[in-house]
Amino acid sequence: MATPVSNVTRQLSCRTVFDALLQRSPISRAALAKVTGLSKQTTSEVIDTFVRQGLVRPAGRTSGNVGRTALLYELSPDGGHALGIDLGARRLTVALADLAGRVLADRSEPTDPRGGAWVLDQIAHLADRLARENNTHPSRIRSIVLGTPGVVNPRDGTIELAPNINDLGHLNVVSLLTEKLGSAVVLENDINLALLGEIWHGCAQNVANVAFLSLGSGVGLGLFVNGHLVRGENGAAGEIGYLPIGGDPLMAESRAQGCLEYQVGAAGVLRRYRAEGGVVATTAVEVFEEAAAGESPATTVVAATAHLLGMAASAVVAVFDPQVLVLGGSLGGRPELATRVAAVLGSLAPRPVEVRTSILGSRAGVVGALSVALRRLHEEFFGGSELATALPLRLPPPRAA
Amino acid sequence: MTAPDACCIGIDLGGTKLAAALGDAGGALLHDFIEPTDARGGLHVAEQLVAAADRLLGMEGRSRTRVNAVVIGVPGVVEPRSQRISQIPHIRGLEDLDVAEYVSDRLGTRVELHNDVNLAMLGEHAIGGAVGCRHAAFLSLGTGVGLGLLLNGRPFSGATGAAGEIADLPLQGLPGGVPVTLESEVGSLAIIERYRRVGGTAAATVRELFARVNDGDAIARGVLDETAQRVALAIVSLQVVLDLERVVLGGSIGLRPELLCRVELAISNLTRRPIRIAASELGDRAGLRGALWAASRALTSVA
Repeated sequence: MATPVSNVTRQLSCRTVFDALLQRSPISRAALAKVTGLSKQTTSEVIDTFVRQGLVRPAGRTSGNVGRTALLYELSPDGGHALGIDLGARRLTVALADLAGRVLADRSEPTDPRGGAWVLDQIAHLADRLARENNTHPSRIRSIVLGTPGVVNPRDGTIELAPNINDLGHLNVVSLLTEKLGSAVVLENDINLALLGEIWHGCAQNVANVAFLSLGSGVGLGLFVNGHLVRGENGAAGEIGYLPIGGDPLMAESRAQGCLEYQVGAAGVLRRYRAEGGVVATTAVEVFEEAAAGESPATTVVAATAHLLGMAASAVVAVFDPQVLVLGGSLGGRPELATRVAAVLGSLAPRPVEVRTSILGSRAGVVGALSVALRRLHEEFFGGSELATALPLRLPPPRAA
Repeated sequence: MTAPDACCIGIDLGGTKLAAALGDAGGALLHDFIEPTDARGGLHVAEQLVAAADRLLGMEGRSRTRVNAVVIGVPGVVEPRSQRISQIPHIRGLEDLDVAEYVSDRLGTRVELHNDVNLAMLGEHAIGGAVGCRHAAFLSLGTGVGLGLLLNGRPFSGATGAAGEIADLPLQGLPGGVPVTLESEVGSLAIIERYRRVGGTAAATVRELFARVNDGDAIARGVLDETAQRVALAIVSLQVVLDLERVVLGGSIGLRPELLCRVELAISNLTRRPIRIAASELGDRAGLRGALWAASRALTSVA
């Protein structure tokens, strides 16, 4: 169906003004007209509409120039809020941002070990508390993104392959959480979100083609190219725990948990450490700390882990040819791994690829969730339905934490 | 507007053969031919590309000025912006040459280079077995191995044009546990070599080896089973990274049904997730048809 030209033009004007507000607030009407190339009248009409809707507010006056001062505008912090949630097997992290992308607060606590509905209650409770502590009503949260391990089915939003959290796969997480939180919840794979976090605020800003390799309790991969995640046909792209590397892929454990993950996931690291006679460390992180202190057999186990991760990375490089490969996750984000993985890559791959270590660390997932929630919020308020997919909105520039 | 007799040219430049095709403005095939690639390499090959274009135009009595685009597939990595060729082991002397500029200057028309397997993927997506797919791969198995990708509905060549250069894909999970790379295991030379090593009677070519398989030669069958096992490992690796809707097999070895059925069996032993694989519908012409199709698109976007 044809859309009236005036309507699309109007939507374009709104988005252009919004984008300028996002990048340059506080800004005057005259300056907005100048940077957007829109007429002063159009700019003023758009600003008046935004102010009426409570999305934009006055923010002081210009100073220092000759002549009359002009009123400045910025996105209103009360215009609406975005909530990002990173649900891990061990930790639950929630962060709240205002319309302009300022992170108001984030909070992290151990994931309720009872799993399932208990975890959903925990999320709702945390979101509610975060909102109230920041003097906003939970109903002002208009956009929510939840990152979770496992494969998020792009068609119906259910979670497959989430072996690390009890009973989550049986629940319709989207509809239950939407009901609890009072606003639509969108699910995304946690590693995809960590990747988006690094692209927004982390070590992969302004890189067009990025692979994010995460090692923690599990191993996974996020792929990003030209502004889009690569999710694959069933949302299962990047499930590299199943790469046939590190062991016999026909073994029962390999088939159940994934050949690579059975060896390099946190449980695998600890298992191999014990098999080598290690007794001091009780977690995979402690195995890495032992190795950093030069203790045997941890050094052997970490070297082998780095080698397998390097082989996985070279498979990713051969297939995907990323400009930058980011290592993250509770184990993968340890800086000593990047050099070792780069060395294996150098010996296996015919071309150099830059290996970086995540700088957001354990916050990468929640920052990424927030970036998607914010983009959706902006889409809802300023997007214009006809333009939504054709012209993706930009995120606000990173701010000093 | 394009002139009524506007046309486009696609060329698939291989290590031993060059296939060239002339299409009309819509990309419909008018003429094509195959000839041996000039073994002297370098400028001789560049000049051969120009001559091939002229020969096609001569068949239809058209002049160079009517050609709006020429797309050439090469068996190597093409950096998309600079059009520089690298990692092209089967044709010498092209890495130091600006082939696109040379042919473009001689013909007076727009010339684009692409990796040959990327064009084969494009061909299958346009008119072959991957029409309508959003995520697919073309896995070419022959003298060398290569991979063309379609991601989010678009051809994908990576940050430097080297996506899918899987000759160096590490393979593990084989008996013995020693990591090896894909091309060193399933390239045609490796297959022949393995056949000799395990005591097979002299087979000079993969074609002969397949003939022995069909004659019931147990050693040849064993070698083919092992080859299929390695191809299956590569496809599983590819699949867990990209989650594709289908993988199209091509190339002189990849097109053999004897291999395909063994690969399917090996995959089903390796993974619970089904992977759809199929032989290329366009066969050994996938690269050529992809080149022609790409040339016709370039022409449409210019017009």
